[in-house]
Amino acid sequence: MKTISFVLNGKKTSIEVDDNETLLGALRERLGITSVKEGCGIGECGTCTVLVDDEPHYSCLTLASKANGRDIKTVEYLSSSGALHPLQEAFIKSGAVQCGYCTPGMLLCAYSLLLKNADPDARDIKEAISGNLCRCTGYIQIEEAIKNAAEICKCDR
Amino acid sequence: MLPKFASVIAKTREEALSWLSSLENPRIIAGGTDLMVKMRAGKQYNHVIDVAGVPELLTLTETDEGLSLGPAITHARLSISEPIIRNARSLALACGLVGSPQIRNMGTIGGNLANASPAADSIPPLLIHDAVLVLESREARRRVPLEEVIVAPYVTSIDRKELLSSIEINPLRGYREGYRRVAKRATWAISRLGVAFAIREDKGRFADVKLAIGSCTPMPFRPKKVEDLLRGAEKSEVIITEAIRMALEEIKLISGIRPSYAYKLPVLQGILEEVLRG
Repeated sequence: MKTISFVLNGKKTSIEVDDNETLLGALRERLGITSVKEGCGIGECGTCTVLVDDEPHYSCLTLASKANGRDIKTVEYLSSSGALHPLQEAFIKSGAVQCGYCTPGMLLCAYSLLLKNADPDARDIKEAISGNLCRCTGYIQIEEAIKNAAEICKCDR
Repeated sequence: MLPKFASVIAKTREEALSWLSSLENPRIIAGGTDLMVKMRAGKQYNHVIDVAGVPELLTLTETDEGLSLGPAITHARLSISEPIIRNARSLALACGLVGSPQIRNMGTIGGNLANASPAADSIPPLLIHDAVLVLESREARRRVPLEEVIVAPYVTSIDRKELLSSIEINPLRGYREGYRRVAKRATWAISRLGVAFAIREDKGRFADVKLAIGSCTPMPFRPKKVEDLLRGAEKSEVIITEAIRMALEEIKLISGIRPSYAYKLPVLQGILEEVLRG
């Protein structure tokens, strides 16, 4: 067992984890954050995506001990002020959510993109979500939602 | 679920070397994008040594002699690194094509080499830059050309007790350099074919040509006879055709005829024509 301390969605957190535990397992089983999901478990689907220091990582392939000292964000961070983030509003408006399984990962990748690039073009958006599979929407609505959210976020600046 | 193992987090190179020497059945982990998948499939190690945060393994230095890359540098960082874009453009391009954004944020150049996949995107660019690996153990330090380190698909001559402590490459300036690949999708796909090239031309002649081909043979390789043929030769369709014929022959000599060659070799021919014509 190891004690790890990290910032989770803006709050300092300390937990005990097993040496062979994944960050995905620690978030779900020890911290109850079930928005982070195991789809494939081998880094091919993106449903386990979390942000590590604002960059998307697959938590299923990340040892929990690697979170020590880092800033970890899950989709809960986006609405931590109490209101939905413009990205979340845009996903709803565009019909970018069907079964919802990929949605937390898609939102985090979109959020990370907008942090680095306030004015992404279609190609930037496709690239940003290229490590995340959606089997419902066909991606068009997700891409549209991210584009629309970028416009709204720009106006808010 | 992963098999049981004990893990340690190395803070320095010294610490990693000391654990490698003292722990039983150790394995180095950095990004984990290959190793975690293998362990999940049942691969057992007693100890896993995490070196992703070791400062000495994260530095990139540029000197007159060349570049030294820390093996724990991620693909994402290499793909946008200014010294890499300037001195080894094919490597920056290839690193930008590995896996997906998440894989590039996690996976490292050292891990890509140590995994030694025939389809590893970073290997053909490193081959044209004459990459030399610095391998260290508690007792010894050796420098080995990348070509000699990969001995078979997914097999290297790196000892369990050795740490890959840096990757040295020669810069190529004044070359037309790049990386072309073919995969089933534009992104998040294993390369079915990868070609790294660096070509210097002078007054209608090929002054120097470096080529490396991945995903075609058990190990990515440099067709050096083809490079020799082209070096100094006048740039013409005749010599380009002959060079490509030789490259395809060499592949068939290494691997025999494989079912995938029905499409791979014509596609490779097309890529080489484009690359050599420039």
